[in-house]
Amino acid sequence: MKRTHKQEKKQFEKLFKQGHIDNFEDRFKVLDTFLNTENHVTSAELTQMLNNNGHALDNEFVRDTLKLMCNFGFARKNRFDNGVVRYEHWHLGQHHDHIICIKCKKIVEFEEDALENLQINIASKHGFHMLQHKMELYGICSECLKERVKLMPLSMAKRGERLVIREIMGGTGARMRLLSMGIRPEDEIEVVTNFSKGQVVIAVQSSRYMIGQGLAQKIIVEPV
Amino acid sequence: MTDKKTITIALAGNPNSGKTTIFNNITGTRQKVGNWPGVTVEKKEGLIRKFGYDLKIVDLPGTYSLTPFSIEEIVARDFVLDESPDVIIDIIDASNLERSLYLATQLREIDSKVLFALNMADVARLNGTKIDAEMLSDLLAVPVVFTVGNKNEGIDNLLQEAIKLAETAPAEKEKRNVKYNKDIENAISKIQNLIEEKVKEKINYKSRWTAIKLLEDDKIVKERFAGKTGAEGEEILEETRNLRTYLLNHFDEDAEIVMTDDRYGFIAGIIKEVQTTTARDRVDFSRNIDLVLTNRFIGFPIFIFFIWAMFQLTFTLGAYPMDWIESGVNLISSFAGNIVPESLLKDLLINGIIGGVGSVIVFLPNILILFFCIALLEDTGYMARAAFLMDKIMHLIGLHGKSFIPMLMGFGCNVPAIMATRTLESEKDRILTILITPFMSCSAKLPVYIVLAGTFFAAKAGNVIFSLYLLGIVLSILSGRLFRSTLLKGVDAPFVMELPPYRVPMLKSLMIHMWDRSKIFLKRMGGVILVGSVIVWTLSAFPRNIEYSLDYSFEMNRVNESFNLKIAAAGDEDKEVFKKERIAAIIGLQKAMNAEKTEKSYMGRIGKGISPVFEPLGIDWRGSVSLLTGFFAKEIVVSTLGVLYSTEGHDDKDALKKALRSSGMTPLSALSMMVFVLLYLPCFAAISMIRKETASFKWTAFSIIYTTSVAWIAAFCVFQGGKMLGFL
Repeated sequence: MKRTHKQEKKQFEKLFKQGHIDNFEDRFKVLDTFLNTENHVTSAELTQMLNNNGHALDNEFVRDTLKLMCNFGFARKNRFDNGVVRYEHWHLGQHHDHIICIKCKKIVEFEEDALENLQINIASKHGFHMLQHKMELYGICSECLKERVKLMPLSMAKRGERLVIREIMGGTGARMRLLSMGIRPEDEIEVVTNFSKGQVVIAVQSSRYMIGQGLAQKIIVEPV
Repeated sequence: MTDKKTITIALAGNPNSGKTTIFNNITGTRQKVGNWPGVTVEKKEGLIRKFGYDLKIVDLPGTYSLTPFSIEEIVARDFVLDESPDVIIDIIDASNLERSLYLATQLREIDSKVLFALNMADVARLNGTKIDAEMLSDLLAVPVVFTVGNKNEGIDNLLQEAIKLAETAPAEKEKRNVKYNKDIENAISKIQNLIEEKVKEKINYKSRWTAIKLLEDDKIVKERFAGKTGAEGEEILEETRNLRTYLLNHFDEDAEIVMTDDRYGFIAGIIKEVQTTTARDRVDFSRNIDLVLTNRFIGFPIFIFFIWAMFQLTFTLGAYPMDWIESGVNLISSFAGNIVPESLLKDLLINGIIGGVGSVIVFLPNILILFFCIALLEDTGYMARAAFLMDKIMHLIGLHGKSFIPMLMGFGCNVPAIMATRTLESEKDRILTILITPFMSCSAKLPVYIVLAGTFFAAKAGNVIFSLYLLGIVLSILSGRLFRSTLLKGVDAPFVMELPPYRVPMLKSLMIHMWDRSKIFLKRMGGVILVGSVIVWTLSAFPRNIEYSLDYSFEMNRVNESFNLKIAAAGDEDKEVFKKERIAAIIGLQKAMNAEKTEKSYMGRIGKGISPVFEPLGIDWRGSVSLLTGFFAKEIVVSTLGVLYSTEGHDDKDALKKALRSSGMTPLSALSMMVFVLLYLPCFAAISMIRKETASFKWTAFSIIYTTSVAWIAAFCVFQGGKMLGFL
């Protein structure tokens, strides 16, 4: 069991690295706790659960990570009747054998007799009578593999590129600062300079801003 | 017309909206620059008389919003809230209407009388953006005036409108403010009702505004609210926390982000009505210039060139007026020497005051030129690009590129440089920058180098001085790294800075900027340096009656008489030779007497007392005492050396050099002394500025101790290391 866990973690790590996501260890803790609960949770509840498990992470970070997980397709935002935003694993309550694209949440159902038989054999080898099983293969579908390169942090953008800001990650303070300076999601921007891997000058309408590397990594953009 | 009435008008607006230009146009040179109470942000005020009114114009710091992220924003907001100016003129940058309106909607929420100055609409129109001012005025119920700041157009009209607005009773008609979405509005009115029920009398601000700020979790408003309202307030704060949690779960965003979105939504509605953009392939000059000047390959070399040119200009062009001032000072000195009767007072006047202050005022041209260049870099907009280019290097120290600006000014004078750290947002960044700026070799240290390096390194003097500047920079980087990883640990704050559009600078504004900073230098002259010079003179001139080891006057008489006998006995030819010899002998005796006098003066005694500390650095008691006097101002080091080597009164410019060479000082000990001068404690004026800007005795004391220890260690390494390597 522990080894699977380790392998899973490795896969996530690889995935997160591809997406240039920081604080992997802490983010993984959030992911782990989230995947281990079968409830629909609010971000505050999840933070509480993490704190109970001895991980002192703040709500802002947890919310940020949950959003990331929605982007990657591990989680789904759900607004229930009373208007509270809750998160769930998108695959809750599925029963068949599935291949799941973690990005676009596309599900391919499959049934393979060889596998079914193998499962029965394995169970009986251990002296089990199999009642139910759950088989889910996770991956990224071919369409998403193509599309994944589209979204990227601003720090990766090249000089002269025209982009649209899709999302601004990071703490509320930093986001408020950017918003009040007139850098907002859905704005079209042009990269004037990308100086040294992430320190950028962008043009938004007739204004130009310089943005430090740290902040540029938190601004998610998409080429026009 | 009510005569003698003062109307207070505050100018608000985004940075780079042309606010300062308008302020300069209104007030001209009648500006008063001071500090905002309690904080270290420059406060600019101007009093003018126009249309029969006394107008007090206050230039608020440029801000993007009234949500306080930096000291500037807190100051601007507090002024509007607490001083309630009669009218606020909000400068709206026509080419950036959306962002300007973001601040404007927040100003409207405060419920003060606001007037819009729609600035630079001509530029916007050229770029294909037309703004319907009448519609804008109607939609927000705010008077709008067109202005063109850099052409001084519309200013009178603006002031007339402001006066009119100040004289009208506050309108009771419906204010057109931002309407937030249903959930937020519910939360606001819940808090607002609670405030009105329970604590209305205790708070000075409008209840809706307070409710909005509490909901936005505005730390300052929250603190003040809690301080004024006690237990009942705590209940309201508790309710606010619950509402914020509810909204967080509801929107999955903090309330302030949702409210910001709503504000922009409201603004988008207005923009749709008032702004028409004709699609035009516009040429954005600033953008094109930025493509070159911030280019990752050629941006940096261009930057180095500008800095090089600036220093060239400062020191080569500055050399001419320096000469004039120097001869001017000499002229005054000899004039005073002729008219004032011989006395102690004369000595004080000529050697103490004129000599001391004179040796400093010669740097005024350097300072003026340097600050003019810096003002030029700032006003054209290049300074922000320099900060960008330096960002990577400054990150070595753990600072942002913005910290580079004060450090650059440090080459001129540390005092305005330390003051310039105000623009840094993070407190820790500010302290760190203040701590390392003194290592930037200020122009006052240059004469010390010129004398010492000129004497002992002759042709290589230029290289030696250049290496000293470099050493200062390297040590500031090393110290910065050290502090960042120990005393001033901190994460990199998110860094975003607007690059202002390139503008042709206006001479008037350049002059005002240059003058503002040079004034600090001149004030120092009148105060600290004058006092310092007098103290140095007093210490070297007293005690008056010294017990000499030799009765010099008796000795002189003896020499005189013996020569007189010789001259009488000698033939005509030898007479002249003996006369010359007599003069030489008497001058020799006088020199010896002067030397003993200084040695036994208070200054000499102090020097002897502290010289053991400087001995390992190869610096003798004269050097020690001159370093000590450098505390008043670094320039005084040179004049003290002059006093101690008793070269005063000699017109020969090289007298000090000769005296130094014959005093037993070696090139190595001269180098050690220069290193010490480069690094040791900042001058008195800089220290008092550090105290003011850090608002902490602890940091001030730390700066003094740290710089001096570094100086001692570095000089020790130079001297002892050099000795071991066989240099002398």
